[in-house]
Amino acid sequence: MGLMLQLSVGPVVWDAFRWPVNGVVLAGFLAMIAIVFLLRERVYGFLFIGTNKAAIPALVYAVGLTIIMGLTRQTEKGWWLNNMLSFWPFVLIYVYIAVILGQIIIRRTLHFQWKRDIPFLLNHLGLFIAMTTATLGNADVQRLKMMTAKGEPEWRALDSQSMIVEMPIAIELKKFIMETYDDGSPKRFASDIQILTQSGKNIETTVDVNKPVEVDGWKIYQYGYDTQMGAKSSVSILELVSDPWLPLVYTGIYMMLAGAVCMFVFGNRRKRV
Amino acid sequence: MTWDSFIYFAVAAVVLWAVGAWAAWREKSQIAYSSTIVGLLIFFSFILMMWISLERPPLRTMGETRLWYSFFLPLAGIIVYSRWRYKWILSFSTLLALVFICVNLFKPEIHSKTLMPALQSPWFAPHVIVYMFAYAVLGAAAVMALYLLFFKRSPASDEEYDITDNMVYVGLAFMTIGMLIGALWAKEAWGHYWSWDPKETWAAITWLAYLVYVHYRQLPTHQPRLALWVLLFSFVLLQMCWWGINFLPSAQGSSVHVYN
Repeated sequence: MGLMLQLSVGPVVWDAFRWPVNGVVLAGFLAMIAIVFLLRERVYGFLFIGTNKAAIPALVYAVGLTIIMGLTRQTEKGWWLNNMLSFWPFVLIYVYIAVILGQIIIRRTLHFQWKRDIPFLLNHLGLFIAMTTATLGNADVQRLKMMTAKGEPEWRALDSQSMIVEMPIAIELKKFIMETYDDGSPKRFASDIQILTQSGKNIETTVDVNKPVEVDGWKIYQYGYDTQMGAKSSVSILELVSDPWLPLVYTGIYMMLAGAVCMFVFGNRRKRV
Repeated sequence: MTWDSFIYFAVAAVVLWAVGAWAAWREKSQIAYSSTIVGLLIFFSFILMMWISLERPPLRTMGETRLWYSFFLPLAGIIVYSRWRYKWILSFSTLLALVFICVNLFKPEIHSKTLMPALQSPWFAPHVIVYMFAYAVLGAAAVMALYLLFFKRSPASDEEYDITDNMVYVGLAFMTIGMLIGALWAKEAWGHYWSWDPKETWAAITWLAYLVYVHYRQLPTHQPRLALWVLLFSFVLLQMCWWGINFLPSAQGSSVHVYN
């Protein structure tokens, strides 16, 4: 089925999933999971989807396709196996796994038992939330590069296609900082910057590698500098990232973290009969 | 406090851990607990004093990271021991901790080694330590699977399968934590939590493969020996993820995880 889709409509066009399309798709997907669950007594296949027996071949198939992905060079312009993220069979198997997760989550929630099901739900619901929101929210992620210079507040940034985007925040570089170890290897890259926002904020701060600054839903990262000038660089390239779905993805991630801790603490509670 | 005095703390801790491991074999659990815990306290006091004298957490250099491995391994060992009473687990964790302590003692130059800015993060140590622990436990599970498949004459007992399962659960739990810590760190360092970098792709493969094992073992009609084969295959995939991708053509130049 995935191959037929790949042949007929071409690769998955993830860019089409921008808000509000992704919101509608998510609502539709959740509705579909509910319908599959409600019809499970009538359609034999739907009953099967909610079982462990369905999960195993789906996982094996996903492992297989992901191994191919790991062995081949992946590019955005790639075709079929070389652009696995837009390859229908790959996308559909993960969608199918999400459907299975949805079925088993509903089933367990309806027969909820505290001790048995809390770790189960943290793991499975956490994965479900993280998977679906990360995938559907990806089209709303904005990653822009801003070239800041000393004494010149900058409010324009470039997107991945090098198109100019006007930002709600302006950034002025105060000082670019580059420190090296005694052997000359880099120790620290950072930028002292002043941020002015349309919402009226005026912030002086430092952006380090690994220490982004967050302003009005944008995370600002140290990205690059004038490599010819090195420590004397008078420009600093910052990356600005906005991901409105991040809180949902993090909810899933934190649930899975808690689930993993439960898995370690309680271990395998299944007892032989 | 400097690295010069490390050897005294390390020797004292290792001796106490070894006594604990020996006591576990002899099923004297009181001694096993107290000795291991005192060893941990001594070792941690060194870390704490390093922390104070460096005026920063000792998480930056590889040597400092190994310090934490050496601490966490017996700690995890004693937790696993308290839970399942495996006689061998404390010996295993002491031996691994000893390896990292020896590296720190005999390769002292690494203490001052520089750390590139991208790795200077509080996420660095837990990400690596947790993964290393997961790899160690899953390695033990793979050894168990090899033994049950090829070396044991009589059929494997239910208890032996349970031990294997428990190791996989512990390993998978740590692997999940390591992977998610990696995702949270990636967001801080690279701006996105998951980018299908080759290392991430292989981490996902490995994780899914162990999920296959866990779910297959829960099928009432499964074949136990096939499950052991799944476990071995998963461990092969794990090797690919750990160091195999360093040699993988598809990862060259495209992975930020490929170490030289």
